[in-house]
Amino acid sequence: MHEFSVTSQIVQSVLAEAEKGKAKKVTEVHLIIGELTFLGLEQVRFAYEALTKGTILDGSKLVIKTQKGAVKCPNCGYKGGFKYEDDPLYHLKMPTLKCPRCNSLVNIVAGKECIIKRIKMMV
Amino acid sequence: MPLLRKEVVKAEEGEIFDVELSKDILKANQLLAEENKELLHKNRVRAIDVMGAIGSGKTSLIEKLVQQLKNKHRIAVFKGDLTTTIDAELIARHGVETVAINTGKECHLDANLVKKALLKLDLNKIDLLFIENVGNLICPAEFPLGSDKRVVVISVTEGPYMVVKHPFIFMDVDVVAINKVDLAKAMGTDVTKLEKDVKTINPEALVVATNCRTGEGVDSVARALQL
Repeated sequence: MHEFSVTSQIVQSVLAEAEKGKAKKVTEVHLIIGELTFLGLEQVRFAYEALTKGTILDGSKLVIKTQKGAVKCPNCGYKGGFKYEDDPLYHLKMPTLKCPRCNSLVNIVAGKECIIKRIKMMV
Repeated sequence: MPLLRKEVVKAEEGEIFDVELSKDILKANQLLAEENKELLHKNRVRAIDVMGAIGSGKTSLIEKLVQQLKNKHRIAVFKGDLTTTIDAELIARHGVETVAINTGKECHLDANLVKKALLKLDLNKIDLLFIENVGNLICPAEFPLGSDKRVVVISVTEGPYMVVKHPFIFMDVDVVAINKVDLAKAMGTDVTKLEKDVKTINPEALVVATNCRTGEGVDSVARALQL
């Protein structure tokens, strides 16, 4: 949903870091994007390409790792993936806050992040 | 004994090096939201987010809540919209402090806009703040503002699949108002099905059927919010 503005912040952060390191070129940027964010990877790539044109990031490799959503159950201690309600007929796959093991309410512990993990640059 | 030396490793010209950053871009808004929350708590103000679909009745719900609660609480309202102060004026006529937040083109409020709006209020003079977001069931879920409780308003006129089609916003919500229940029959929308869908996603969410024209169910929303 906000790929362009979020990607713009990513590019700016990377540029600031590159400047700090006096880099001539940034060759790789590694992102971790959570499954529960509203960021479409296709759109992030598109925005990245457009936003890096003419900067020292131009032509750099964008590596995106998707972080699966994870929950923790305060009742039974379950830690792992979401319980999904699905209905293939309607292409429905709905994550729920129910524990897959005991059905109690769980807390989300991963999947909402959008992290610049590391960058590779040439000095 | 060998001399302790401080070594500095530097990259040579043309060399490639790796920098570990681990910087979360969405964190900036989350941190601002935490600051807002802290400021509100310091001034003993409870804040309620009111989110929901376009035209579902967010403003009507706030109007009715204000009418019911204005003798019990000192209330202020932030009213988010892309443009105009039409809704803000609807709320202000009930005699509560109202700040219109016009986002311009942005489809949701963010913590920074709320921080700026908070500067317009004398927080000593209020104890309850409603923050009405821009009508949208998608983006507001990603941008916390610093509130204590969150309400989502949907209405039967949007059809029977509103919840299953927008599951994420219901994960992070305390109360769901299903509005315009007087029209359910005419619309062929099953209110209990909508309620069941909310409960499937978030078993702890409290679901209330409302008619914000007449005020039906609004007291239950207030109770669910512990107001």
